[in-house]
Amino acid sequence: MMELQGLSGGYGSRQVISDVTLHVPDGSFFGLLGPNGSGKTTLFKLISGSLVPTAGSASLHGKPLSTMKPVERARHLAVLSQETSVSFDFTAEEIIQLGRYAFQTGLFKQLRAEDRQVMEDVMVLTRTTEFRNRPFYQLSGGEKQRVLLAKALVQEPEVLLLDEPTNHLDIRHTFDMLDMLKQWQKERKLTIIAILHDINTAALYCDRMALLSEGKIVEEGSVDLLRNPERLAEVYEVETWPQAHPVVPRPQLVMTPKNRGAERGPLLDSYSLEQSSGAIVLSFDRPLRSISNGVAGEGIQWMTHFANFHVDKQYQSRTPEEDVRRWIESRNLPAAQSIGMMTAVFLERAIVRETNVHGIPMLAVVTAGTGNAVDITSKEAAAPAAGAGTINMFLFADVHLSDGGLVNASMSAVEAKVKALADHGITDAASGTAATGTSTDSIVFAASQRGRRSAYAGSGTPLGRAIGQSVYEAVTAALQLEKEAGR
Amino acid sequence: MRSSKTWIYYGGSLLLLFGAVLLGLMSSSVTISPGTIAGIVQSRLLGQPLPEGIPQSEASIIWEIRLPRVILAMLVGACLALAGAAFQGLLRNPLADPYTIGVSSGASLGAVCVIFFQWTFLGAFTLPLTAVAGGFVSLLLVFSLVRLSSRSMAIETIILAGIILSAFIGSIISLIISLGSQDEMTQIIYWLYGSVAMRGWSYVTLSLPFAVLGAVLLLSRTRDLNAMALGEEAAGHVGVSVQRGKVLILTGASLLTGAAVAVSGTIGFVGLVIPHLVRLVTGPDHRHVLPVSMVIGGAFLITADVAARTLIAPQELPIGVITALIGAPLFAFLLVQRRIGKGREG
Repeated sequence: MMELQGLSGGYGSRQVISDVTLHVPDGSFFGLLGPNGSGKTTLFKLISGSLVPTAGSASLHGKPLSTMKPVERARHLAVLSQETSVSFDFTAEEIIQLGRYAFQTGLFKQLRAEDRQVMEDVMVLTRTTEFRNRPFYQLSGGEKQRVLLAKALVQEPEVLLLDEPTNHLDIRHTFDMLDMLKQWQKERKLTIIAILHDINTAALYCDRMALLSEGKIVEEGSVDLLRNPERLAEVYEVETWPQAHPVVPRPQLVMTPKNRGAERGPLLDSYSLEQSSGAIVLSFDRPLRSISNGVAGEGIQWMTHFANFHVDKQYQSRTPEEDVRRWIESRNLPAAQSIGMMTAVFLERAIVRETNVHGIPMLAVVTAGTGNAVDITSKEAAAPAAGAGTINMFLFADVHLSDGGLVNASMSAVEAKVKALADHGITDAASGTAATGTSTDSIVFAASQRGRRSAYAGSGTPLGRAIGQSVYEAVTAALQLEKEAGR
Repeated sequence: MRSSKTWIYYGGSLLLLFGAVLLGLMSSSVTISPGTIAGIVQSRLLGQPLPEGIPQSEASIIWEIRLPRVILAMLVGACLALAGAAFQGLLRNPLADPYTIGVSSGASLGAVCVIFFQWTFLGAFTLPLTAVAGGFVSLLLVFSLVRLSSRSMAIETIILAGIILSAFIGSIISLIISLGSQDEMTQIIYWLYGSVAMRGWSYVTLSLPFAVLGAVLLLSRTRDLNAMALGEEAAGHVGVSVQRGKVLILTGASLLTGAAVAVSGTIGFVGLVIPHLVRLVTGPDHRHVLPVSMVIGGAFLITADVAARTLIAPQELPIGVITALIGAPLFAFLLVQRRIGKGREG
């Protein structure tokens, strides 16, 4: 257990670190975060013995590090700094060998077989074997840092201090190095205390972290302390938004620049509509925050173009997303900012409807085919079949919603769609019960993000009501058109 | 690994030294054969009478004049090269000059004072002791200057302080020279050029204790010097007692510099060029650079002394002129080659 107890110190009469108390559990990856000048590096120097504490102590298993001789300390604690220049033409292996300094004993201080074995193991892990005989200065930045990491690891430390070890590395080498460290941490129960420049990288690798500000610890805990935008704003003076990493259960922060550009005008003045038998394309003059399950452009994204492509009833493809992307590109739409859906419904029967319920401007574009109508609740529900059977809804509102608000808005839209289907007497062909939708329905709900931010768009709110009415009317009208055409 | 080659470095450099000693003993106005030399040395060392056919005059030339001169040259060369290698390793700069630290300027000032004021308070040891003391005082001055300007004894600051002190001491020496008579001026200036001529055994015994002590100090810190290549802080992280090591290395190197300057004056470029050349062959590992530099430095200065006394015989050149004539262009060449060939930082 690494323990800092009331640790204070600095340079000369200037005290940088004051009264820092921390417990770093054995075998953990501990991140030290804080803005420039908050004292992270000074704290490291106090721990590593480069600076002498003016008060308090850093101790390992109860023994203060400052009372240890350098040789003894080096057998417990290793340091990897952000940049180390090496003079003379030492080879990579000679540099790594320096890490065994503290272990060479006896009169002639020769490397023993044991030292060589440790070096070989570490060189394999850090993949430095291949250039062991090359001069250090000839290596690339990533290779140099691996050599220095190897030098630190051959010290067989219990605690490894990393001072921005990935500062000069690109993301590939950064992740490469941190993965290596993580592996060693697990295999050897190594305790790592790291100053990491990048908060999001720290969030991915740290088990615990502390936030340092003006020489004091202001927060300490799991990576979830990053989900505290108010505290981060105090320390970093930057607006942060905690988000969930899509695959790893860790928070990731997105930052907001101070200057976000001018506020745009009303949403419904800002779009153009192209409608042909091949596609309906809605183009906005600004990106809209969109939640969608469209074939292309799914998820929560910022989108400017929204396309609904007509396909033949017999359309079958193993790669629908690629197809839609190709269609998007063939129309010279920016693929990264376009949502694409497909339908076998004839696009002349699309409903385009602007509404203004409760003073909320909305646009709804709906195509509805019911050939595949399904009652999702029925045990005898119809199996997916070919046919003009998709309800595609493009909904736009001049509102500002959180991510939860977007989910809420799509719920409201779907509720209204189900009601419209029921009122129109659409049934599941197999079960004969009221259909709740089709097997391939798609939706996009896009918000302009103007005005007051809200997390609510359910039936209890004006926005929820507006969505409900707008969607109900549009879907009903689309079903009506389809029914008339079918006669 | 380089270890398999190390015996070649040591064997080769010792062979070079042996050749240089032989050359130094043989050549001069009177050439004496190696067999005769061996006979003379053997008889003197073992206290036996001279072998048949060797004239007493030749025995005197070898034993009283040439051998002490050769050994003194070897000692001075070894001291300067070893001190240079250590300073370069410690200052992390292969182009660093052992003189930039200010030690040799201080030693020179001490020696100049002894010559000018004809101090004799310590008997025969007055000159070397004052030189070593001068070196130490200047080292202390450099240290305190560094401590006043930064807390960490940073390498760059040491060089800067050394240069400041060297310039200051240089002007004091100039002042002393200009205050003296014509005769004294010539003597001091000639001494400043550097020479190992006409010193005799007494000078060898004067400088030997300091040289041995300095060499032992430095040769025991070679692993520290290797670790210092990472920078002082990183050296501390692998377990080096940086402050202690630094003080010991600087003390050892200044003992060596003082020992050399006291008996031979200021002979430049040996400490600069020899470790550099050695490093090209042995690689940067100080465990080899230091001892090999010591041996090669000795061989180099013996050879330079042979050149000094034979080039314009019967007159002699100051040895410092020879080392500068060889050393400066070679050093310039190395400097340019580094830039062109590798374009990298020290």
